[in-house]
Amino acid sequence: MSTDLHTLSGAYALNALSAEEAEEFRRHLEACPACSQEVRELQQAAADLGTSEAIAPPAHLRAQVLAAADRTPQMPPRAPAGAVVEMPRRRWAPRLLVAAAAAVLIAVGAIGVTQLQGDEEQGTLLATEVVQVFEAEDANTASMETANGGTIRVATSPGRGEMAVDTDELPPLDEDHVYQLWAIQGDSISAVGVLDREKGAAMEMPTPDTEVAITVEPVGGSQQPTTEPIMQVNPSDV
Amino acid sequence: MPEPELRLVPPRGPADVDELMRRAARGDAQAFEGLYDELSSAVYGLARRVVRDPARAEDVTQEVFLDVWKQATRFDVERGRAKTWVMTIAHRRAVDAVRRSEAQKRQDHHGAPDEVSHDEPGDAVIASEEHGAVRECLGTLTDLQLESVRLAYFNGYTYGEVATLLDKPLPTIKTRMRDGLIRLRDCLEGAR
Repeated sequence: MSTDLHTLSGAYALNALSAEEAEEFRRHLEACPACSQEVRELQQAAADLGTSEAIAPPAHLRAQVLAAADRTPQMPPRAPAGAVVEMPRRRWAPRLLVAAAAAVLIAVGAIGVTQLQGDEEQGTLLATEVVQVFEAEDANTASMETANGGTIRVATSPGRGEMAVDTDELPPLDEDHVYQLWAIQGDSISAVGVLDREKGAAMEMPTPDTEVAITVEPVGGSQQPTTEPIMQVNPSDV
Repeated sequence: MPEPELRLVPPRGPADVDELMRRAARGDAQAFEGLYDELSSAVYGLARRVVRDPARAEDVTQEVFLDVWKQATRFDVERGRAKTWVMTIAHRRAVDAVRRSEAQKRQDHHGAPDEVSHDEPGDAVIASEEHGAVRECLGTLTDLQLESVRLAYFNGYTYGEVATLLDKPLPTIKTRMRDGLIRLRDCLEGAR
């Protein structure tokens, strides 16, 4: 974008361009990711400015708006039909922890690369931050069987810089045991946290050489794993 | 050897606006209600400030939420937060309403501006978290930056009109709008 046009980003974020100028500026934005980023940030500053004027609307407006929405159909998503549910195919290559664990770890490859459909509204308990990773536009998801006969789903979103595990399909444990999450780098293992099976967990995207594993531990969790992992995954393989 | 580090993402509340938008995009009417409850004060307050007339501000608010409902399917969180998206739509709608009515007035040869009072008694002004920070950060802008940003954002003037009103060259106003917003952005980021 020319310097001259670039300086319009402020006026654009303030909606202070004529319709024609705004249209021209939008066309330039499509070709200039850096400009788009700046506009987004300036729009957020403008939005904060607007939010600082908040006034509660009259109570009757709520029912009126909701009724109007109820009569109004939504637009179809911009993506072409089919692309919405079809995730980019990624080869699912679960890595084995260490040779010793290989016998226990029955990770079955290519079980499926699926995106959450609309069904989780039926009362999912998955934590919001977990759902957000699975639902991210750029999410890579995979599901794998675990050594203790359950299924685990993993999602990574490069855009969000996050990874999440859905642990709801793991076998429930007795009250003396918990699932615990670990970060593994070479021979070094550190505890990440005890899992709430129904909620799952979301984490910042680990560094490329860090793998994520889950073990069964006594209630309260352990400093270091006391059992073989039921699953281990290298996030970059998801 | 340093211990491998992995940080869990802290729990996010159910009132997460991005999350509500994602659900609304799948036709979830309850999520849309949640969006209304979270954002209607911000939208209505902005509309009131820009179009001034309460009844027209209600119309604008309704238009905005219908836009949000219809277009939620096209909202992309990777390209900005849902709240920013809604407030951008709200501002655009409010400014359009003002410009339409100004054009109408010019056509009717009625030059007089609206004499609608700014604040109606009984308005429940929401003490938003943003309010204090925004006020403070606006104080870091130069007078010309502040005037340029305000006349455009709250009065709906184009940058050409602002240049005329302030009797400054066009490029100057253009630049002040940009560096004023940049200063506001940087200050608000520091406050977050």
